[in-house]
Amino acid sequence: MTVPAVVLLVVFNYVPLFGLVTAFQYYDPLVGVWHSDWAGLEQFHQLFGDPLFWEALKNTLYLSFVQLALFFPIPIALALLLNSLLSERLRNFIQSVVYLPHFFSWVLAITVFQQMFGGAGVLNQFLRAHDVGIWNVMTNPHTFALLVTSQVIWKEAGWGIIVFLAALAAINTDLYEAAAADGAGSFRRTWHITLPGLRGVIMLLLVLRLGNALTVGFEQFLIQRDAVGHDTADVLDTFSFYYGITTGNYSYGAAAGLFKGVISLLLIWGANRMAHAFGSDGLYRR
Amino acid sequence: MSKRFAPSHARCATVNQGTERTFTYRSSCGSRGCLITVAGITRKRFTTSRAEKGRLTMGTELNRRTFVQAAATIAGAAAVTPLLSACGGGSTQSGGVNTASGLKAALPAYVPNTSIRPDLPSVAGGPGAMTDPGFLTYPASRVATTSGVPGKGGSYTAVTPLWGTVPPAGNSFYQAMSKALGVNLTMKPADGNNYNTIVPTMTAAKRLPDWIQLPTWWNPNFNVGELARTQFADLTPHLAGDKVKKYPNLAAIPSGAWQAGGWNNRIYGIPSFSSGFVIAGTTFYRRDILEARGIAADRVRSAGDLMSLGKELTDAKRGVWAFDDVWTYLFPFWGVPNKWTLDGGKLVHKYEMPEFLEALDWHYRLATAGYVHPDALAGDNANGNTRFYAGKVLIGGGGTGVWNLADYQSGTAANQNYRRGAFDIFAADGKSKPQVFMGPSTSIMSYLNGHLKPDQIEELLAVANYLAAPYGSVEYTLVNFGVEGVHYTMVNGVPTATDEGKKDVQAQTYPFLASPPAVISNPGGDVVTKDYAAWQAANVKTLYKPVFWNMNISMPQSIATADAAQAVEDTVKDCYHGKKTVNDARAAIATWKSSGGNRLTQWMTDNVLNKYGTGQ
Repeated sequence: MTVPAVVLLVVFNYVPLFGLVTAFQYYDPLVGVWHSDWAGLEQFHQLFGDPLFWEALKNTLYLSFVQLALFFPIPIALALLLNSLLSERLRNFIQSVVYLPHFFSWVLAITVFQQMFGGAGVLNQFLRAHDVGIWNVMTNPHTFALLVTSQVIWKEAGWGIIVFLAALAAINTDLYEAAAADGAGSFRRTWHITLPGLRGVIMLLLVLRLGNALTVGFEQFLIQRDAVGHDTADVLDTFSFYYGITTGNYSYGAAAGLFKGVISLLLIWGANRMAHAFGSDGLYRR
Repeated sequence: MSKRFAPSHARCATVNQGTERTFTYRSSCGSRGCLITVAGITRKRFTTSRAEKGRLTMGTELNRRTFVQAAATIAGAAAVTPLLSACGGGSTQSGGVNTASGLKAALPAYVPNTSIRPDLPSVAGGPGAMTDPGFLTYPASRVATTSGVPGKGGSYTAVTPLWGTVPPAGNSFYQAMSKALGVNLTMKPADGNNYNTIVPTMTAAKRLPDWIQLPTWWNPNFNVGELARTQFADLTPHLAGDKVKKYPNLAAIPSGAWQAGGWNNRIYGIPSFSSGFVIAGTTFYRRDILEARGIAADRVRSAGDLMSLGKELTDAKRGVWAFDDVWTYLFPFWGVPNKWTLDGGKLVHKYEMPEFLEALDWHYRLATAGYVHPDALAGDNANGNTRFYAGKVLIGGGGTGVWNLADYQSGTAANQNYRRGAFDIFAADGKSKPQVFMGPSTSIMSYLNGHLKPDQIEELLAVANYLAAPYGSVEYTLVNFGVEGVHYTMVNGVPTATDEGKKDVQAQTYPFLASPPAVISNPGGDVVTKDYAAWQAANVKTLYKPVFWNMNISMPQSIATADAAQAVEDTVKDCYHGKKTVNDARAAIATWKSSGGNRLTQWMTDNVLNKYGTGQ
């Protein structure tokens, strides 16, 4: 039964790992991996001496932190809110509405933001028409982290609630009834039953999120890079793209990617250890 | 014996110095015409004006139908910066620079075709520069320039990029073409959007088709210098000097275009859509609106004049801004070359020129003064054309290829008075001699497989000769429109595609293998042909050959990275969008110089300038 899945995993996830060797080469697609010159650690040497790389790393960590702080709790809150609705019809309707943006591409999402909040967008033309100073939110590098986080919230918060709703559904309703019989109000019930019931899932997602701390998105930053400037919008992935792939400097991009992979592995290991230390399951049960 | 260029470092990248990577020019061609995107501006272009495709020569990017403002696919965006790519790896030695004298011996003779007379003849400018001839009507009497069928019944496969819907295999148009050509030529159009990822798999496996088209802006990606040496047929023995006269239509392609397909002093490429008027682009304005407001465009004689005009035209409250992005097309007006210039015999990069920073400063001030549309400042170039048609911006930059029938049709659909104009090329200070650098003579180049035997090469060259028949000839009409009555009918003197024609006759399948030099022709839109031809004629004298013009250069990866100067280009963009100051750009340039720029200059001096000269 699992053979197809294992084959899929091996062919598309493990075999391509071999391509990491290009990070130690002066890779040339024409002559291929076997015949490209060996570079040793030269690419990494260059990478660590590149201020733009450190800038990208800084941006990535900063954006990741802002998203963790501002985005992560939202789906949980949304799920709790939806769970408290009695009307199933209303709940389904709201759920559908908040899901929907997830299916939009980033191009579309950002176009919507640009049309609404851009320098020539609905909001600013309204402000202009009434001789009020304009609000340049789309091109302001200082508030970029908040902008992208709000875009992520708009687009992904609805999608993020799915797993929490599933976890909520798994909580034994008898517990609520018993608590209610004992005189627990809705706050007490949430605090003592719902949240502990969600803890495993929250910890799991937190561990995964920390492991992915260096992955904050790609298209979103690629598209808005010109709007706020490269030193604000470049994250590790766009760095690999602009300074590796588009310049044909594939090995350099691969080195940056490998660096990201190794750090992510350490992060996920650390976060998992932490989860276990707190008595949670983390990625697997110890 | 040709002098082989051996870089000191085995790894190398190929750079066509005539191509500036900021010449963003995208085209996607469908059954009814081409979508041409110039600096992100998309438009529909109809097959009737396909001769204009000579402007493809400016391109460095041939891309998908652009909706994404930032060309957001890896495949697409990778093409934006083709000059930086690594080439020959391992211990291989890549194809090298041509020497002036060596290449001269290899270049085919130039014998212009006089069989079809244009309504608006070519005007010569500086060395190598001339305007494209203009046609107001499609020639009614078709001249045949070849006799019999060129082929001898051989079977071949050809791969070309196609931006559009792939026509059915073995369709009636292919059959008609194979019959007319006398060869069984299997056309395999490949998706142009992914072309730069498709080709490397073929070259890496050494499984190239018999005939393939490789846009020159991807030369570095494909490592064409190395391919020429190892996998392409050397056409020099068949075409050098007077030998080309066996193929009169190929002889009518100017030498500059052949030069762009030359490596190591040998000729490998067969050029399409060559032109004597190739520039980065220019600065357009809404002629109808400016004229209605009594503003004469010829009052703009300097950058200062243009800035004042920006102030006059901007009315943000009404949602009208004077400018869209213009940097890419305007900076040459400060006397800045595409990349290199000579100062007292010394090679100087444009980044080191005070004029470059002056130009940047002007653009920074333009952006911060509020004369540039906010969406342009936010990096949304894809909708630039929509803004221009809607009159939301009145001045915008673009490749000259946008000046065509489809633009006229789209523009007049939005506003019936629509008329595109372009400012005459001026010197920024208003006093110096106006000048603008030329791009390479073509970017569309096809190659024959090195496995072919000499008589097979001769057969395909005869086919190429047929495909390169001049505008309006019998052959041209078949190649571009198909069979009369089946694929097109004449409506008001204009070949108009039938339903079958729309389905089967893809504009760029055969012309991407070989085509005659570009002409200006917009049947049904004479005002466009006249305006554009007049503008070319008025400005052709300002064109000059920049240092290393039309030269194919291979360089080591580290040098290529410095040549790409991604960090500087990023800062420059932030600067003309008003987000970084000129001092930031100055700092980025200083970093670039110390981290590779100086080495680049030294390398170019030692390995190119001192050995092969300036190419001017």
